Amino acid sequence: MSSTQVSKIALIGSPNSGKSLLFNRLTGLNQKVANFPGITVDIASGKSADGNNIEYLDFPGVYSLQTISGEEKIAVQAFMSALQDDVLEAVICVVDCTRLEKGLIFALQVLEVCHRYNKPVLIAANMIDILDVHDMHFNAASLSEALKVSVLPVSAKTSAGLAEIPEALAQASVPPASFQSDIIASDESINHLHAQELAEKYGPKGDLLIKAQTRLDSFFLHSWLGGLSFFIIMYLLFQSIFTWAAPVMDGVESIIQWLASVVLPMIPPGVASDFTSDALFGGIGAFLVFVPQIFVLTLVVGMLEDSGYLARAAVICHKPLRFFGLTGKSFIPMLSGVACAIPGIYAARTVESTRKRWLTYLAIPLMPCSARLPVYSLIIAAFIPAQKAFGGLVGWQGLAMFSIYLFGILCALFVTAVVSRSSAELRTDLPFVLEMPPYRLPSWRPLLRNAWNRSKHFVTKAGKVIFAVTVVIWVLGYFPNYGASLGDSWLGSMGRWIEPIFAPFGLDWRYGVAILSSFLAREVFVGTLGTLFGIDSAGEDFTSLAQQIQESGLPLGAGAALLVFFAIALQCVSTLAVLKRETGSWRLPVQLFVSYSIFAYVAALAMFHLVEFLT
Amino acid sequence: MTLWDLTQGASAKVSRFSASIESGYRTRLSELGFHPGEQISCVMSPSLGAPKLYRVNNTVYSLDDSIASLIEVS
Repeated sequence: MSSTQVSKIALIGSPNSGKSLLFNRLTGLNQKVANFPGITVDIASGKSADGNNIEYLDFPGVYSLQTISGEEKIAVQAFMSALQDDVLEAVICVVDCTRLEKGLIFALQVLEVCHRYNKPVLIAANMIDILDVHDMHFNAASLSEALKVSVLPVSAKTSAGLAEIPEALAQASVPPASFQSDIIASDESINHLHAQELAEKYGPKGDLLIKAQTRLDSFFLHSWLGGLSFFIIMYLLFQSIFTWAAPVMDGVESIIQWLASVVLPMIPPGVASDFTSDALFGGIGAFLVFVPQIFVLTLVVGMLEDSGYLARAAVICHKPLRFFGLTGKSFIPMLSGVACAIPGIYAARTVESTRKRWLTYLAIPLMPCSARLPVYSLIIAAFIPAQKAFGGLVGWQGLAMFSIYLFGILCALFVTAVVSRSSAELRTDLPFVLEMPPYRLPSWRPLLRNAWNRSKHFVTKAGKVIFAVTVVIWVLGYFPNYGASLGDSWLGSMGRWIEPIFAPFGLDWRYGVAILSSFLAREVFVGTLGTLFGIDSAGEDFTSLAQQIQESGLPLGAGAALLVFFAIALQCVSTLAVLKRETGSWRLPVQLFVSYSIFAYVAALAMFHLVEFLT
Repeated sequence: MTLWDLTQGASAKVSRFSASIESGYRTRLSELGFHPGEQISCVMSPSLGAPKLYRVNNTVYSLDDSIASLIEVS
């Protein structure tokens, strides 16, 4: 390899072969590592951490080059086109040496295509640390001789052998023609027998499955203990994002208030001062308060992923989800959708069946995503007292949050159940086969980095939209009378014009304006409302937005209707764009946008009348 | 007898796949280790018809009845 030019090296391997962790170690990049089959859905790249002129490309994990799922197809197509690229210097095929036979079935396919495209291959036999713990060995040198390519024992976990990778790559050779002319198109059993023979000859011998895994499985998949622990884990997830994130949120709010009290006196009264107070501290400040929740949620979901529990949760959920036309594999995309619909939609590529994948797409936008969280938190804070029950263990606000989250999930299941039954072609499916990864302690550093990146992304990407919308709303609300009366502003006129749409839920024009602006991104609702109330009460003390809503005399039914509306409506431009990208047409996103808007409006109206009738 | 009929703790050898399994999926099952002649054990059989856990070599997979009942074992 030339020392001046950057060499591109492709990393490929089966799910759970530890490929992503190896990539992280090699590049020092913040690439997400998850302990669930098929979680890497995009090709990440990164320069070598030790200063070599090597750029590693991490391809999504696949079981085979013969694809059966949409995700695998994308990964294999990308890998095949990379092989045809001259800048690709070599391929590292990662295999789990504790499960050598399975790894070799795949490696033999990789060797064959690399021979065809004349690319050198290095087989990285990962997880050598597990063999060391069990005092087992495998004969890398003889395997290397048999395959006629370099085999390097490594451990991504302990970094053992990683320093030798650049040198091994420099010496890597193009695999020779195999005993078969075209292994991936030929009878799979020959490939299988060859892999079996090699694994028996050179692989580790003995029982490597950790007994703890079976013991933990018999607990987490136990008929009632498993169900109970599932509900406890899911409930803790919701409590963590609401109750446990609260002190940090209060901290952020105090900092914003303190900043406002320091900055505002320095600005002479007038347009600039009003803008800083209402649009900056009122609008942006109201949205920043919710960043800690997004951080905690991403961290907890990542922890569950990394520990191996999510695969068990998919097993638990499979039978019930099948009733609603989905599969256990829909659980991960749907749970990711609780953080954000966008990673959820990407993760739906792991659902092999096209039909189930489409049904999963219908469900994801209804999952209670983190962008809804600021809206829910605001409405709940305005209507539900911050008291605790059951000896301080459970907060009423947390319980209300749990209910509205549950409502969103039930809506998602209702939609998929109805749609899957109404269409005959949606009823048949590919079978459910899911690898159970070993349980392991989550690696904190990648998880914290991932949560940090997600929060940063939320602030920078959503923040830009929110800032732009906030400025527009503030200008419309402030002029032409310089904030003297919001009712006479441009925004007031627009609001009154659209008021009849939202009046049936008991919402005045300010909420109408906030809902309209939230079609850009849901969380804009809070910023807009903050700006609107800020302008309305200019000159008063900096009270929290929730308190202002409470004081404005909004009826309980209207609050409940707002929650229901936000739980259903698909107000997210990014989600629609990603759906278009994944399905290849605007048909599904447009259909979903229109039908969920109508569904949301009707359900909110029904909720308003129900609450008004009951109270 | 099919794979789905295996009780928890029991093991058997795969004899053949039902013809109703699509060929692409049959290949995938082979690649995962569910290959005729391979010894499979049922490590966990959760109640309420949830997918069962099967061990092949050092890997555990979860299969539901729709697929496990199409794999014949003896």
